[in-house]
Amino acid sequence: MSENDYCGHFPIGVSMATMSTAIETIDPMDLKTESGKRRIARMKKEKSLYILMIPGILYFVIFKYLPMWGLTIAFQNFQPILGFLKSEWVGMENFRDFFSSPDFFMIFRNTLVLSLLNIIFYFPMPIVLALLLNEVRQAAFKRAIQTIVYIPHFISIVVVASLTYVLFTTAGGAVNILMERLTGETINFLGSPRWFRPLIIGQTIWKETGYGTIIFLAALAGVDQNLYEAAAIDGAGRFKQLIHITLPSIANVIVILLILRMGQVLDNGFEQIFLMTNALNRNVAEVFNTYVYTVGITQGAFSYSTAVGLFKSVIGVILVLGTNGIAKKFGHSGLY
Amino acid sequence: MIRDTSMGSRIFDTLNILFLSAFALLTVLPFLYIIAGSFASEKQLATEAFFVIPKEVSLDSYRYILSSNTIPRSALVSIGVTLFGTFVNLFFTVTMAYPLSKKRLPGRNGIINMVIFTMIFSGGLIPTFLVVKGMGLLDRYASLILPIAISPFNLIVVKSFFQEMPEELEESAIIDGCSRYGVLWRIVLPLSMPVLAAVGLFYAVGHWNSFFSALIYLSSPKKWPLQVILRQMVMLAQFTAANMDSFDSDFVRPPEQSIKMAVIVLSVVPILFVYPFIQRHFTKGVMIGAIKG
Amino acid sequence: MRKAVVLLPMVLALVLSCSRDGKAAASAGAEGPYPLSIMVMTISGEPMGDDSPVKKYIEEYTNTSLDIIWVPNTTYEDKMNITFASGDLPTIMVAPKKTSSVINAARNGAFWDITDYLKDYPNLSKANPQVLNNISIDGRVYGVYRARELGRNGISFRRDWLDRVGLDTPETIDDFYQMLRAFTYGDPDGNGKDDTYGMTVTKWTGPWDVMKMWFGAPNEWGEDSTGNLVADFETREYMDALKFFRKLYKEGLVNEDFAMMESSKWQEPYLSGKAGVVVDVADFSTTLQGEFETKLGFEEIVWDVVGSVEGDKGLHNLPFAGGYNGMLVITKNGAKTEEDMKKALAFLDKMNDYEMQIAMMYGLEGVHYTFDENGFYDVSTDKAVKAQYDSAAQMGMGIQGDFRYDPDQPIDRDELVLKRNAVYKSNLDIVVGDPCASFTSDTYAKKGAQLDKIIEDARVQFVVGLIDEAGFNDAVKQWRSQGGDDIKGEYNALYKQYK
Repeated sequence: MSENDYCGHFPIGVSMATMSTAIETIDPMDLKTESGKRRIARMKKEKSLYILMIPGILYFVIFKYLPMWGLTIAFQNFQPILGFLKSEWVGMENFRDFFSSPDFFMIFRNTLVLSLLNIIFYFPMPIVLALLLNEVRQAAFKRAIQTIVYIPHFISIVVVASLTYVLFTTAGGAVNILMERLTGETINFLGSPRWFRPLIIGQTIWKETGYGTIIFLAALAGVDQNLYEAAAIDGAGRFKQLIHITLPSIANVIVILLILRMGQVLDNGFEQIFLMTNALNRNVAEVFNTYVYTVGITQGAFSYSTAVGLFKSVIGVILVLGTNGIAKKFGHSGLY
Repeated sequence: MIRDTSMGSRIFDTLNILFLSAFALLTVLPFLYIIAGSFASEKQLATEAFFVIPKEVSLDSYRYILSSNTIPRSALVSIGVTLFGTFVNLFFTVTMAYPLSKKRLPGRNGIINMVIFTMIFSGGLIPTFLVVKGMGLLDRYASLILPIAISPFNLIVVKSFFQEMPEELEESAIIDGCSRYGVLWRIVLPLSMPVLAAVGLFYAVGHWNSFFSALIYLSSPKKWPLQVILRQMVMLAQFTAANMDSFDSDFVRPPEQSIKMAVIVLSVVPILFVYPFIQRHFTKGVMIGAIKG
Repeated sequence: MRKAVVLLPMVLALVLSCSRDGKAAASAGAEGPYPLSIMVMTISGEPMGDDSPVKKYIEEYTNTSLDIIWVPNTTYEDKMNITFASGDLPTIMVAPKKTSSVINAARNGAFWDITDYLKDYPNLSKANPQVLNNISIDGRVYGVYRARELGRNGISFRRDWLDRVGLDTPETIDDFYQMLRAFTYGDPDGNGKDDTYGMTVTKWTGPWDVMKMWFGAPNEWGEDSTGNLVADFETREYMDALKFFRKLYKEGLVNEDFAMMESSKWQEPYLSGKAGVVVDVADFSTTLQGEFETKLGFEEIVWDVVGSVEGDKGLHNLPFAGGYNGMLVITKNGAKTEEDMKKALAFLDKMNDYEMQIAMMYGLEGVHYTFDENGFYDVSTDKAVKAQYDSAAQMGMGIQGDFRYDPDQPIDRDELVLKRNAVYKSNLDIVVGDPCASFTSDTYAKKGAQLDKIIEDARVQFVVGLIDEAGFNDAVKQWRSQGGDDIKGEYNALYKQYK
């Protein structure tokens, strides 16, 4: 709940892509081909580099690894007042409770459907927008549009939800007024299970598309301009150039981002969904994170929510490894 | 580049510009509503669903915000934490990223894996709190900075950027008798301004928008940053009636709609001001850091 | 990685040892001010500061030196749980609700059991037994409750509209229905347009809970003919109420989008003159009247209020939130000895004096308020002045009554306020208690939130016509099989034990 805040301020796109390059750059030279002696000699030589790393390593040990023993409360009936040492150990009970809950499948389904819709409808949007922006020839116009479309990223989701209500309510919302004029009927967008997912995806598209273009624009800026000139000389039109030069140059980024998104399919934004849920759409709206909140956090069930979180992380790792394997099969470099 | 001046190409350009303008307009409309709302009368806000032009322009909400020193003070806190925090972030990130960019450094892969592992698993709220408390950081600004001194993502962005630098530059400097520290300071960093700008902005936006650490770690209200106050004002109205304890509302009524909007505007404006200045570096920095080749 | 593993136990030991040395709550000299730390929520962003004269006054009056830990109310429970886990508890803290972490903390001995001490204190001994019962955990009292008006629920309505459509103040459920109809179809604002409706309801389900009481449904739990407890939604009366709601919805007397409407927008239909009735706390009437005056420029009083309307089963109302909003508990970690606990209790007792209540709510005479020409309180509206006692009232309890409802206090009250206060009072005779308020069900603690949602959702779906009576009964069945029956069993066992 809070941990994610720390790194949740920039789009998954940027951060995830960079993570991937990290994994993929592991150098074969580093494999244990050299003798221990030479290794130690080199370590001595690079003493200053190790000294430089001390603050960083201390940071990770103290603030990241030290708190990780907290994950063990997934196997406890953790009572804050008793602390970690005195709380009762319950083995897998929290996991059993979760899997045996009648809501488990509903939540699983809702979470996956929403994530898949997100991948199908939201994911291509920044790519399309970036491609369109890339075709703009007036630099000033391009920069102006860029600046504008980044803004929503900085607006609180509470404000976004409240604006959605204002615009879509049947009681005089701008969209429904328009609908009534055009079709003579109003649609209860906010209270129908059918419209819940489109609304959520729409909000995400509105809020994050612009900011999500950054990484693609960055990749596009790196494309060698000579390629275009050569293609133009060969008589390729703009559309052909797009297909044969522009797209392939960002294909790897797209694949990497897609893989990493797969690792996150169980993680839908909590606040957004929580704010948009109501009695009429709950059967499609309840997802892992909102479930953990209502069952766990509001009632102080730390162990239970930690167990669900742990389950989610493990599934996430499996999914990333799986999609990575598939990507490799199809000839992309993958992550590892 | 050779210009394609065919008919189809020009039609495409026109449509493209139209489409992008429409998209930008759609993006900006709700924001205009918030800005207009911050200048509008309460009556208009209460009776009109959506508007982008206030009927009568009033500065009351801004005057109200500045009438007590809470918001100016918390804004100062936010600015201070953001500036200092970003500096600390960059220091920790650079010092760790530079050694990790040396592919042949023994132990490097182990450390990178250790960093990546923390992206997937974290200990959670209470253990982290206990560590912060154990370090004696409670109710100090350091608690807003040290526990998030390095973002693994940003670390790797910077590392990848360093990795792309030509080795020869550094090597010749070392031959000239420069130490590793000297190389980092005099050669690597000056060449890394784009990535530092980009990562610095990520960190700065993170600090500027963060509220949860402040709520948990700081108990003196005087130390609260702007986002805590903003959130309190916005959420208060969100929760009225539902969790409402109208007993409270007799004394502290939820702030007027226009005031909430004014606070939102104030909290976003600094980012928008800084952004265009960094934007150019920014793209370049992320590009080299994130995507190689 | 390996390095981390080695370091881990070391740093762990360091952290644990550091968290031992709690606050040095050593009591000062016998006569000196007693140091107390107290954790309470602030509902604004700028609570009373350490240099506030109000704080100094409170400290002098109670002979304490206060270390107030302010926590924004939106994250209070997070902070509370962290505080529990940190092992470094303040002497006194607000336990905002009886959540399972509060109950477990009480059971694990984190708080002093003050049941047998209350009688020794002049104010605390006057605590309302019904509310004490509501806050107790396993039959014991662990804190001093923050009193809220038990009879606070009521029906607020536009008096001028009612006069225009020629109806009298509603007394029965049917009168209430006729009022809504007339407000919807009788052009109550007289503008010749069909642009009004009766009542606004939001996402929040409170109004339905209040209205179900009119039909004689129990408050959460009630006895059936055999003397066993059943849930309210298993009763005939509840279904009668549901059908009534459905009728209101079908006839357009309530807003179509109620299930989606954010409660923060609740006031808007009233301010824009679209709706004229609200079932919720009775002070909705005075709040709206105030908004009408300040925002819309009304001068005459147009709002009115009644407590409840009568049905076949008589006149009933829902008590407001059990008559309390959280309680102030004394922790064993902060008050180490019985002596310390008694001092903390003495502080809580003194905070119930009128002098303290007035200071927390209005500040100090001459600084934060004066008396106007009529001798009434005239509270400064200056923001900086108000900030000196902002949120202080969160420490208040009002065990001996809220001074603002004391007719002897020189407060400028218009007729609507007087009427509202009368509604509060008369409601006390008709509110129906929840027989299980003091019981703790383990199943409920574990699954309650999900189970409650089953019924809440089914209720809304029934009202808007998505499901029929059979569908609602299916939801009840689902509730029973997923844990409802266990809760019922646990409550019944406790009920027999304490009866």
